[in-house]
Amino acid sequence: MRSFHPGASKAPMKFRMPTAENFVPIRLDLDIDGQRFKDAFTWNPNDPDSEVNNFAKRTVKDLKLPPTFVTQIAQSIQTQLAEFHSYEGQEMHIKEKIVPLKIDLRVNNTVIRDQFLWDISNLESDPEEFARTFCKDLDIGDPEVGPAIAVSIREQLYEIATQSISSARETRVGKKGRRGADIVANSFVFCSKAGNTVDLGKLFGSKGSVIRKRKEWYLYEPIVDILSNEEVGALDAREELNARLKRKLDEKEESFQTRYSHG
Amino acid sequence: MPPSSEGSDLADRELYSIPSSASWFRWDDIDDTERRCLPEFFDGSSTSRNPRVYKEYRDFIISKYREDPTKCITFTEIRKSMIGDVGYLHKVFLFLEKWGLINFGVKVPKISVEDAGPKVVVEEGPPADVQVVPACIPQRKLVGMASSVGGENGFKLPPLTSYSDVFGDWLPKRGLVCGICGDQSAAGGYESLQDGVMVCSKCSKNNSQADGRTTEDSNHQVDDDAKAEGSANNVISAWTDAETLLLLEAVLKHGDDWALIAQHVRTKSKLDCIARLIQLPFGEHILGSINGTCANSNLITQATDVKKQSLINEPPQELIKTDLHIQTDEKDLVEEPMAERPLKRRCLPSFVHVADSLIKQVAGFSTVAGAQIATAAADAAIVALCSENISARKHFSINKYGENDLLYTNNDHNSGLKIEDQDMELHKQTVVSEKSLSATAFQVRAAIATALGAVAARAKLLADQEEREIELLMASIIEVQLRKIQCKIKHFEELESMMEHEYTLLQKVKESTLEEWVTVLQQAFQAGIPRWSDDELPKPFTTM
Repeated sequence: MRSFHPGASKAPMKFRMPTAENFVPIRLDLDIDGQRFKDAFTWNPNDPDSEVNNFAKRTVKDLKLPPTFVTQIAQSIQTQLAEFHSYEGQEMHIKEKIVPLKIDLRVNNTVIRDQFLWDISNLESDPEEFARTFCKDLDIGDPEVGPAIAVSIREQLYEIATQSISSARETRVGKKGRRGADIVANSFVFCSKAGNTVDLGKLFGSKGSVIRKRKEWYLYEPIVDILSNEEVGALDAREELNARLKRKLDEKEESFQTRYSHG
Repeated sequence: MPPSSEGSDLADRELYSIPSSASWFRWDDIDDTERRCLPEFFDGSSTSRNPRVYKEYRDFIISKYREDPTKCITFTEIRKSMIGDVGYLHKVFLFLEKWGLINFGVKVPKISVEDAGPKVVVEEGPPADVQVVPACIPQRKLVGMASSVGGENGFKLPPLTSYSDVFGDWLPKRGLVCGICGDQSAAGGYESLQDGVMVCSKCSKNNSQADGRTTEDSNHQVDDDAKAEGSANNVISAWTDAETLLLLEAVLKHGDDWALIAQHVRTKSKLDCIARLIQLPFGEHILGSINGTCANSNLITQATDVKKQSLINEPPQELIKTDLHIQTDEKDLVEEPMAERPLKRRCLPSFVHVADSLIKQVAGFSTVAGAQIATAAADAAIVALCSENISARKHFSINKYGENDLLYTNNDHNSGLKIEDQDMELHKQTVVSEKSLSATAFQVRAAIATALGAVAARAKLLADQEEREIELLMASIIEVQLRKIQCKIKHFEELESMMEHEYTLLQKVKESTLEEWVTVLQQAFQAGIPRWSDDELPKPFTTM
């Protein structure tokens, strides 16, 4: 049924997060003088810039971090906001796309793994509500889990949104090509668990069924795991090691590029 | 039992309570209320949202809830079963909940997760379709349900007996275990076979078909005992290797006499021994062969030559298992084991005839391997055995003589054999029982060695042949490849020569054209036409 697409190619619109609230996911990962600070949250891009500094100061005060963090945090947030703003003037082409989103994160002692489908043309979608329902239904005690889920969803949506900007497509390859590569930007298809593209028309047309096969239910079922403190410690240590190694590799790669890239 | 599909009897309908405000709800229709509250499914704004899709979602959610109306169904439980944007799914869910079509009057419990206990879900749990569905779920009427939401029970594979089942230790307090399929909870009840083993009803049917031999060679002694202890307790300690060994020895020695066997294996009862033997890989085989030869003994009562004739003429396939297919052209080999059997039968009636069945196996192997190989193997085996043990030599010397006779001549040595037999008889009767026993053992070992030798020779030949074949194929492949390359080279050479040819032609044409040009110019000069500028000179000539 490829000829008939109601509302298929919507008119291109200005770039924005495909959610009800146009909030940006911000991720901080700073390592200064051996001290590591990681955080992820949602930011309203319409907030005045002064808010960034206030937030940075407050965070450093609350968490008793060395004061050098203030500028670093503020800078990081501003960089990410600037990037977001740079997309804002451009047009993006959202076609009807139902993509699988994955959650794979660890918040303190809780490990969450989940995958589900998200319609990115649904501009009324609400990751926060999804996260709230998630935590309520699964009775998750840790209050930090919900926001983490919401941020993760937003990040994936942000990635998809930026990929659908026509002008930015060429510059995609370099930096962001590594992550988010599994989001396929084809119209009317989405990837099921095995990576097979499933024809939307077939599923939602007259002959398909939108009820998933029973044997696939377990794939889309959330998995919540509570770790013991030792396991958490071990995982933290491993992550730190990985992050350090990655940083070293990145530095090496950058120096390599600057050395051998032509003017 | 899968729920009945649409349009079946009304008797299955159960009553569910929904608020009166939701009385507009119909299974087979979509009401305006729904269209109003969930417009995104009805405005044609996307292919993934249409009335059919909405109806499927709705029906599925409501049916899933009604499987257990006492429990509050959560969105997270149900979203995994539906394909579509979770935002819209949530909207449908909330709509149904708001109108009381689901979770009506159910108090939200503190912990409402279907999958797991408190908070932890084990990651590597079994997939959903292997979970045990509680039997108390009554059959619900699901009118209008899409047939894709099928039966409640997942597909359950039959249990397989594995190595661990056979050789592993019996766990105590395990309940009745079927002797054949290992099924512990057979619904059809258990029956006891003639061998005194408990089998579930399914297997008993299969067993009576497949094991023709056990039914026809039934040993009725054991029946009564088994039935008396039919529902015996199963608190057994595990079978150690020592006990298993004792069991096997006892079986070889006493055959079917379970009382003696149980006596031999002191720590286990009769029933245990029987059951254990069944469990072992060749346990039934041993039993069957024992029973088989009991039947055989009834037939072998005549004189040897008559017996031999009858044996040669009709290979005893009815008596032995079908896997020993003795061909008529190997009858000289048949004679060897068959002849030995009457010797043994008459002289060693009290001993077990497992050896006989092994001899039959030797015959089988020999037919597979070929006459010459088998004889060579037999000779080699006996020689080896004799060199190993001197007392065997004496025993075998007579046999060997007899064997050689048998092998080289066909049916003409009946008399000779008769004499041999009588000699053997005398010889045997004077021998102490232990010696006879050892003779039997030697014969058994000889037979086994023969069989092994024959098979090994055959295997080596096969392996050699395979290797040669592989080499041949490799060579042919390489040859083909080389030929291909040769063809290509030739082709390219041809092309090259063609190109060169054309090149020379081209050069000639060029030259001739140049000459013409020059001539034209000369004529032009002679005619007095002024020289024109150089940039009109054609390019190819300037770059020459």
